[in-house]
Amino acid sequence: MLKTIKKYKMPYLFILPFFVLFLVFQLIPIIWTVYISFTQWRGIGDPQFIGLDNYKKILIDNMFWEALKNTVVYWVSGLVLILIFALLIATILNSDLLKGRVFFKTVTFLPNVCAAIAMGLIFRLFFDENAGLINEALQAFGLSRVPWLTSTQFSKIPVIILNVWRNTPWFTMIILSGLLNIPRDYYEAATMDGASKWKQFCYITLPSLGNILFFCSVTLTVDSWKLFNESYILPGPGTSNTSLFQYMYESGFNTFNMGYASSIGVVLIVILAIISVIQLAVRRRQGEI
Amino acid sequence: MGVKKKRFAESALLHIVIVFITLLCVLPILWMCLIAVKPASESISGFHSVLVESPTMANFERLFEMIPVLQNTFNSVFTAILGTVTSLFFCSLAGFAFAKYSFPGRNVLFYFVIGTMLVPPEVGAVPLFVIMKKIGLINSLWSLIIPRIATAVGIFYMHQYIKDVPDELIEAAKIDGCGDFKIFLRIIIPVIKPALASWASVTLIARWNDFFWPLLYLRKQAKYTLMVTISLLPVSEGLSTPWPVILAGTTLVIVPIVVLYLLLQTFQKAGLMAGAVKG
Repeated sequence: MLKTIKKYKMPYLFILPFFVLFLVFQLIPIIWTVYISFTQWRGIGDPQFIGLDNYKKILIDNMFWEALKNTVVYWVSGLVLILIFALLIATILNSDLLKGRVFFKTVTFLPNVCAAIAMGLIFRLFFDENAGLINEALQAFGLSRVPWLTSTQFSKIPVIILNVWRNTPWFTMIILSGLLNIPRDYYEAATMDGASKWKQFCYITLPSLGNILFFCSVTLTVDSWKLFNESYILPGPGTSNTSLFQYMYESGFNTFNMGYASSIGVVLIVILAIISVIQLAVRRRQGEI
Repeated sequence: MGVKKKRFAESALLHIVIVFITLLCVLPILWMCLIAVKPASESISGFHSVLVESPTMANFERLFEMIPVLQNTFNSVFTAILGTVTSLFFCSLAGFAFAKYSFPGRNVLFYFVIGTMLVPPEVGAVPLFVIMKKIGLINSLWSLIIPRIATAVGIFYMHQYIKDVPDELIEAAKIDGCGDFKIFLRIIIPVIKPALASWASVTLIARWNDFFWPLLYLRKQAKYTLMVTISLLPVSEGLSTPWPVILAGTTLVIVPIVVLYLLLQTFQKAGLMAGAVKG
């Protein structure tokens, strides 16, 4: 073993920084989180071991279930809307009928450049019940004003719009890079055989994008479960918009319940692990891995 | 004739949709800039908000009185630039090792690196705070730089790109007596410049917009990045901060990075995501 390491010293040395950082800032914190989750700890002094009490508390904590529900809403809405919009925009950008491709490609990426925090503040004014542009426009069309930010019924909509608006461009770029790899003659042959655009999309484009779409849904899932900025800056009334990760942060650093926060962290890890396994299994059944 | 007509209709529809989407992307940003230069006397509500009769810089002046803008901007620039440079160096170095060396355990280690992306480090925020406190990096900008000088995504991206560099280039350099590190600096880095440029813009944007980590690690105003300061604007004077001042703040955050992005985009032939993911 020692001999191999000596022989291959340089490549091991080149990849070493990643593994050291992974150990210190990812692996150890996660194992430590599991440990803290079995304790009561307010950040000072020694953690008191309390067994499964934090997890028992989770089961009866309404706030936790609300945050979990909110996160699922953000996850599903983000996954569906972002993938649909990204596919649509990427298909348009890839069409040879389009003039000014470079311009449109550059400009439609702009939302991803803008910070969620800053855009969230803008959205607060945008969706304001009395002063907001959105309601003014609704009224001009003869509809009534909607309390976007102050009613539990509507308050998640601005968060979802912000999330979709900001993140679609990133996935558009990834999908576009996949579209560029599909040989043009596939489409030419299909056109000759009289296949409609929609059929071409279903039978050529989507199957060819298999791996790319899989990659997109995996990254979108991880990003959704750690959604923080959007719901933090557009909180809605009370806790109606709080995401699970945000609830973890607030339990740990606002109310200093580090043990409880850690148990939420563990739940998050377990949920992500389960979803990842399911995603991989589905992909495997499609025979692609 | 029929085919031509159909193509025209299709092309028209395509352009209408993309122009509509472009407007959705750009209008919120332009609207923000308009409000940021509105004097306090003008109305910001509804359709009145788009008319600016006498543009003013007063909102920005007010902002400079309220928060240490220069100090916070320096903090943001420092972490974004240093974070990007270190990350580019270490990610391409590791990507190079994975792409061009065969060493025992290479594939397993590479899949392991990709697998680490599935567990976000954010879930370990509680112990991470403790670790940072122990090594004395709370309230230090280095807490934002050090943990991310080699990221899994970056290594994956660089690996995809370096894989396509011809082996002959490396062999030739080896025959000329170049050491491994020298090959990386003299051969690989110049060849992958386009990839470095696009990954640099992606990282720079992400670091500039970073919010959660600075919120967690930086606990006093002089150390805040611009993003954290801006997020606190609505509450920093009770609830009375005027909207134009808040939007002047967001303008300060958004406009520089948008301009930088547009500049980088015009200089860059390869495009932002060229070669990022291969199907």
